[in-house]
Amino acid sequence: MAHVSVPMYWRTIPQRYRMVGQRCRKCDAVNFPPKGVCKYCNASFEFDEVKLSGKGKVHTFVLIGAGGAPPEFAEQEKAGGMYPVAIVELEEGPKVIGQIADVNPKDVKMDMPVSTELRKVYSEEGVIRYGFKFIPEELSR
Amino acid sequence: MKKVAIVGAGQSRYGDFPEKGIKELFLESYQDMVKSVDKGMDSRRIGAAYVGNLGSGGFQLGNMSALVSEFVGLPYIHTVRVENACASGGYALISACMDVLSGAHDVVLAGGVEKMTDVSGVKQKYWLGVSGDTEYERLAGTTFAGLYALIAHRHMHEFGTTREHLSAVAVKNHKNGAQNPKAQFQKEITLEKAVKSPYVAYPLNLFDCCSTTDGASSVLVCDAELAKEFTDTPIYIAGFGSSSDYLAIHDRINTVTLEGTKRAAANAYDMAGLSAKDIQLAEVHDCFTIAELLACEDLGFCEKGKAGQFVEDGHTQIDGDRPVNASGGLKSKGHPIGATGTGQAYEMFNQLRGTVDKPARQVRDAEIGLIHNVGGSGGTVSVSILRR
Ligand SMILES: CC(C)(COP(=O)(O)OP(=O)(O)OC[C@H]1O[C@@H](n2cnc3c(N)ncnc32)[C@H](O)[C@@H]1OP(=O)(O)O)[C@@H](O)C(=O)NCCC(=O)NCCS
Ligand SMILES: [Zn+2]
Repeated sequence: MAHVSVPMYWRTIPQRYRMVGQRCRKCDAVNFPPKGVCKYCNASFEFDEVKLSGKGKVHTFVLIGAGGAPPEFAEQEKAGGMYPVAIVELEEGPKVIGQIADVNPKDVKMDMPVSTELRKVYSEEGVIRYGFKFIPEELSR
Repeated sequence: MKKVAIVGAGQSRYGDFPEKGIKELFLESYQDMVKSVDKGMDSRRIGAAYVGNLGSGGFQLGNMSALVSEFVGLPYIHTVRVENACASGGYALISACMDVLSGAHDVVLAGGVEKMTDVSGVKQKYWLGVSGDTEYERLAGTTFAGLYALIAHRHMHEFGTTREHLSAVAVKNHKNGAQNPKAQFQKEITLEKAVKSPYVAYPLNLFDCCSTTDGASSVLVCDAELAKEFTDTPIYIAGFGSSSDYLAIHDRINTVTLEGTKRAAANAYDMAGLSAKDIQLAEVHDCFTIAELLACEDLGFCEKGKAGQFVEDGHTQIDGDRPVNASGGLKSKGHPIGATGTGQAYEMFNQLRGTVDKPARQVRDAEIGLIHNVGGSGGTVSVSILRR
């Protein structure tokens, strides 16, 4: 497995559980995932915390099949078949990668509206890692 | 200002060689390089070696360049392992050029080596998906096939690029690779077979992907003033450039452009005093078929979004007006990660000297060629322009 230690995962929990981003105090753009320096103006490292809505639309996606899954996700592919991974354009502006859950892979479409929910991502070192996944908007309550 | 010349180049066979490790593979390419130096060379003149390597398998992560250098008879030199994922070799070449231009050493070895088939398929994928933004891209469940599929899908959506356009790249590169005695896959494939092969990461299928490969390559560069001591037909490095980009695709300005390629090329064109239209042939980084389409666009060979048609129309065939990957490319020649960049230089050196091993692969009377090497999904890119 690409070794992601428990502490390494732990440090990203604000993003993975609550989608906490950064609003740049200089140019007002929202960075997510976080950066050391604002990626829009490259001129400020002063941010205000902003909790994102988790809503957005599918910018592009892939259906990961046998041979395309990393070892730590191979079991998921074996058990459930191809799984969709998307880059979603969030309504606050930034794009972010994540899996789409609760959907037949055949029904994933470009520009499809999605929201986010906390789900099991995978397990390593005997610890289940949770994080956001995207859910088609029509299914979420 | 000083200039840099290539006076020798060698490549091991690419493929699956259980009997050879990194030392033996590197030696094979080094000896091939030595043989190519027309007037002979004394290894004591080599003052430095830059060796590209990702470290696949993880068995020699520390001090590997010193190890392979001493194994081929080069102890007591300045040597560094260069690691920029799949672009390690291209950057090793640029490091060697910078070394010569700085005046620190006047004869320098640039090379690369990778041993990928020692480890099981599962471990292999562990090592392959580690050059993106691991925290996000890997943990979303992707390896490189998946990341390039994200780019490909958006390219298809925005520009109407088709399944057949992607497969046309694979068919062309297998056709060229069939004429390359050092290639991993020396057989042609039909468009039908390429189109129908099973999906690895939809929309990319098996024949859109490069494979895993053992191999090594070596290139000897020197101060151009000394070149004629080694050969009467040196090849000059007219320009080079490189650029990094955001590692994660989701962080980039544009999903369907490799900004690193555009900027690396702009620097190389500028240094050479040339533009895209002057490039007569190219070896580009086609780790996945979509990557060759992006390269044609971002290097300026055709308009953005039009590369599918450009390839389908035959412009990039060996007898076309701009041959691309006459060697078979990564797709068919193979992609031993750290060795790929200097392997491209080996091909271009021979193309421009007219010394390609099989006439069917020789592009006639070319004077100016470009090599392009990409790390990961575009996080690092190097471009060099070679000239007769
Ligand atoms: C494409 C890929 C997923 C296939 O792996 P796999 O499903 O484990 O396939 P296998 O290695 O078991 O090979 C199955 C068959 O297809 C052939 N094959 C494998 N990859 C091939 C390729 N890219 N092109 C043509 N044939 C290929 C093999 O020779 C084998 O044939 P055989 O059964 O006759 O021996 C794998 O090669 C891969 O990960 N490639 C990408 C490498 C990479 O990411 N490099 C870095 C790029 S940035
Ligand atoms: Zn800003």
